[in-house]
Amino acid sequence: MGKKNLSHQKKFETRIDFTPMVDMNMLLITFFMLCTTMLKSQTLKIALPSNSDESKQEQNQNQAAESQAFTIILDGKEEEKDGNYMSVQSNSKFYYYEGKLDPAQAATQLIEAKGIGIKGTKDTNFLTAILQKKNEKALKKIGEYKKKWENHGYSNDDAQNDAAYQADATKVLAELNAAHETPIVMIKPTSRASYADVIGLLDQMQINSIGTFQIETLSKDDSTALQAKGVQLPPVPSAKK
Amino acid sequence: MGKVKVKKKDPRIDMTAMSDVTVLLLTFFMLTSTFLQEEPVKVITPASVSEDVVPEQKLITVLVSQNEHDGHGQVYMEIVGASKKDDADSAFTTENVKKQILQIMASKHNINFTAQNYEDFAKLNAFGHPIKDLKKWLDLPVNERAEALKESPGIPLNMTTYGGEMTEFQEWIRAAAEVFSQRDDATEDIRSGKAIAIKADANTPYRMVEIVMNNLQSIKRNKFTLMTSLKTAKD
Repeated sequence: MGKKNLSHQKKFETRIDFTPMVDMNMLLITFFMLCTTMLKSQTLKIALPSNSDESKQEQNQNQAAESQAFTIILDGKEEEKDGNYMSVQSNSKFYYYEGKLDPAQAATQLIEAKGIGIKGTKDTNFLTAILQKKNEKALKKIGEYKKKWENHGYSNDDAQNDAAYQADATKVLAELNAAHETPIVMIKPTSRASYADVIGLLDQMQINSIGTFQIETLSKDDSTALQAKGVQLPPVPSAKK
Repeated sequence: MGKVKVKKKDPRIDMTAMSDVTVLLLTFFMLTSTFLQEEPVKVITPASVSEDVVPEQKLITVLVSQNEHDGHGQVYMEIVGASKKDDADSAFTTENVKKQILQIMASKHNINFTAQNYEDFAKLNAFGHPIKDLKKWLDLPVNERAEALKESPGIPLNMTTYGGEMTEFQEWIRAAAEVFSQRDDATEDIRSGKAIAIKADANTPYRMVEIVMNNLQSIKRNKFTLMTSLKTAKD
């Protein structure tokens, strides 16, 4: 019979091979994964005093200089590579003194905090310990509030709970500050200190609930004291009048 | 002898399910992704415990590089307006904001930018040329701009005192603040410092950041933010 092969239609494969499709998708996924930023940056708020009136600033400094003042000086080492300047944290040096610097006793008053790295070294706690001791009263009070906050003691509403806790903490700091019982921390980075250290110190202020702190430039007494310790300071860029 | 019959298996695996999964993943990444903006310098910000997230809109970022020019690091600026979905009349988009800022600067320095210059400036992410060289940079072919930006001395600035002569950097900030002041929420962001962020690498010498802070301080922008990354447990 001649019709034998007529009904035998070629059977098409119904399944489509998806392998190339998967390959392409994988490529695209890789591309998107590499190009995206999943991590959002954080910000640290900072408020500097106005430099409109320098004599006023100095007055403020002197007021703070009496019993509460605690000054931390940051220093580092600059390295140059192809016009890029770096100040790596491993070269950081920290100095501190309490109260007002007395030029006559500067050498003994100014203490080098050896081996303090703000980041990750075991000595980190040294500076933290000093700050904690100085801020003991405030930390104790705030600690109590924090417990209350953790147990939702202010309000069952999260936002209200947060707000009430913040208000209480601020109030305590203001009260203690008025009674001269909290430290006023002065952060004085030299021009070659590492930016990360400045941020690290600002962080420590937040961690240890220091109510009042400010970033300042080195005073003449500071520089003299540092030089007496054998620290060669780079020339300070002067403001254009 | 009886033959052992080996069952013939289809060597092909069904890829349909695999394809489904990959398409899903792809959709996820496409929807959640925000592309990395190209920046003239690579910056790894220092870590801090602060949990305030960088605002995605109405933000002036001051990027400080470690490459020294004229006694300070190169300074670049990035300006972002309001996002489209947040802005009903869409007058405050990044592009409009940047055009207005450039207009203020152009009239102050008597420079005539072409319409194309304005368009380009509005679309570009970061800028950082002295105002007299800005037109030359905008006239460059697209593929040469990024390289030229890296070579640029940055926006000029120096140590200033309050009420002294303004540096170009201060003029840019002033111009931006002026444009931002058209909207109440943006004005508030500028006043509280939320809208101005300094971004610098962790290893930057402090003097390079200090000079930027000093310039902000001298025009009474005493409040601003510093960009950091969240501290992880191992830090």
